[in-house]
Amino acid sequence: MRWFISTRYFFSHKRQSLVCIAGVTISVTMFIAMLAMMNGFTDKFIYETVESSGHVTVHDEPRERDTQILERFTRSPDALLAIERTKPRENIKQIKNPSGLIAQLRRMPGIVAAAPEVTGEAIATYGTKHVNMQIVGIEPEQQQRVTTIGDDLKEGDFKRLRTTADGVVIGSGLQKVLGAKLDDTVVLTSNTGGRTSARIVGIFETGVTPVDYSRAYMLVNSAQTLLDKKNVINRIVLRTDDYTQAEAYAAQIESICGYRTESWQEASANFLKIFKVQTVITYVITGALLIVAAFGVLNILIMAVLERVNDIAILKSFGFSRSDITLVYICQGLVIGLIGATTGVISGKLVVEGLRRLPIKVEGLVKSEGLMMSENAGMYIQAFCASIAIVILAAMYPARRAAKYDPVEVIRGAH
Amino acid sequence: MAPTDLPQATPAPFSRPARGPSPKTAPALLEARNVHRVLGSGDAANDVLKGVNLAVHRNEYVSIVGASGSGKSTLLYLLGGLDRPSRRDAAGTPFDPPSRVLIDGQDTATLNDTDLALVRNEKIGFVFQFHYLLKEFTAQENVALPMLKLNRIAKSQAMDRAAMLLKRFGLADKLKRRANRLSGGEQQRVAIARALANEPAVVLADEPTGNLDRKNSEIVADLFAQLAAGGQTIVMVTHDNAFAERARRMVTMEDGTVIRDTVTLG
Repeated sequence: MRWFISTRYFFSHKRQSLVCIAGVTISVTMFIAMLAMMNGFTDKFIYETVESSGHVTVHDEPRERDTQILERFTRSPDALLAIERTKPRENIKQIKNPSGLIAQLRRMPGIVAAAPEVTGEAIATYGTKHVNMQIVGIEPEQQQRVTTIGDDLKEGDFKRLRTTADGVVIGSGLQKVLGAKLDDTVVLTSNTGGRTSARIVGIFETGVTPVDYSRAYMLVNSAQTLLDKKNVINRIVLRTDDYTQAEAYAAQIESICGYRTESWQEASANFLKIFKVQTVITYVITGALLIVAAFGVLNILIMAVLERVNDIAILKSFGFSRSDITLVYICQGLVIGLIGATTGVISGKLVVEGLRRLPIKVEGLVKSEGLMMSENAGMYIQAFCASIAIVILAAMYPARRAAKYDPVEVIRGAH
Repeated sequence: MAPTDLPQATPAPFSRPARGPSPKTAPALLEARNVHRVLGSGDAANDVLKGVNLAVHRNEYVSIVGASGSGKSTLLYLLGGLDRPSRRDAAGTPFDPPSRVLIDGQDTATLNDTDLALVRNEKIGFVFQFHYLLKEFTAQENVALPMLKLNRIAKSQAMDRAAMLLKRFGLADKLKRRANRLSGGEQQRVAIARALANEPAVVLADEPTGNLDRKNSEIVADLFAQLAAGGQTIVMVTHDNAFAERARRMVTMEDGTVIRDTVTLG
């Protein structure tokens, strides 16, 4: 009955109803498209970061305790504790018995692969160009099991690290800055004074700009020599069976080995915070669009109520209660919401697919050949439900206003 | 359509058994007991009704007459549960005895909005001066709406019954016509058909001929006479003395009180 009246009212003002629906459709479309774009960007960054740098990294230093020593012994919250000029404990600059630890870690449930690394800073010189880079000494075969760096190779081959004396695989960004090509020789100078002429045997591109512009891979032995870290392994990189559980694995490993163990989430915490803020901003903007659409619905329903004051009086005269009248207008809002949300979800999907196919080169924090769109059912459900909820909320005011009309006053007014 | 063209009421399924006026001892269908209605407040308060007592029994055909502002329509809306009587005067003093309206024995003061709406749906059929049809709906749908609201019969049955009522009022060819495309007289006949949709205990009509030309007024007056003859209880407010005198009982109001309550020749 209420639906019968609501739908008839809806279709009797097609133009106004279509404007309302268009508003809801556009806002739902924008909501889906923007969220897909932001999620796509975030997912790409996370995927590339996780895949190029490993899920969990064991560092060559003990985790600094947050709690100062006095606080460990004086538990009273009212105690005034003061320690001046504290200095961090001297770091252990290497992982003791790395092969033993790696073997132990590999036996842990959930750990898929583990690889040793030695890292340090160096300056690459090619002609007149000097570029700072992070040298990562690796065992190529093991490294390719913990990361997808082997798949990210644009030119050359990781195997050539084994066959070329002082071979180096550099990021595409470094290659661009240096202007060097495959098989060119660059001079690498470490901050400890080590120096070597290294041949570029591979160029990789992870798509994560900070990695591509800073990282270079060498064989462990070559890196240890260059960095003056003989027999030192200062990082162990791990791949787990579920990257989302990396924080739990990291905590577990840290408690076992005592070294600071960092999950990819911790390593990329700043970026993840930015993404969170970005997501909030996306929700705010798209939410504002939805609210604007809801105001359109509110406005048109108020007009509809004002136009049909006599109808409200007569409906009440033959038995409609206040709640019936409220529901008539809420149903009308619901019709607008349902149609608008459905068309919005469909057009949102079309826009996402369209944007995915746009040949736009993206180069910022991550590099991509097209817009990165990431979608999931939850996103569509969220957009659908949110739009309907907001439209119903918008319909509440005119609906309640309609219900409050005193039929006698209306009839007297017409007299 | 001339009044003489109208089909007779007796064979129609919604007509009530023709009976004479109920004895005054039978419980009243509508009853106003010391009814007051104060509109506005403070210095602007206006006592529209000042302690009206009136009982309408089943099968009665009552006309309420009086000058403009005498409180006729206000009394009609109160009797139909479209409005509620005032409990206190402008100074805030409760009326003694309390101001009450009873519809088929139910005190409207004890009913909440939903229950009172249900009473209107089941027992009351309103007809207004300005027809008040829902213009987005066809004549047939307008008549079916109260039945759909009552929800005792299926939509198809409601539409069939609406069609039957409209055919009875000479609107067989206007069933599917939108309300706003009907003439004034046709609209009023649709409104009367709608008032009868749920076989109400009483039809309350507020100036049903007030907005019609002479010819259509005659048609409506004849319709009311036929309905009353068929046993339908009717209470109508009118300025038209000729129309009022066709009722079997005429109540005259002045300045918010009933000054005369007479039985007419009908």
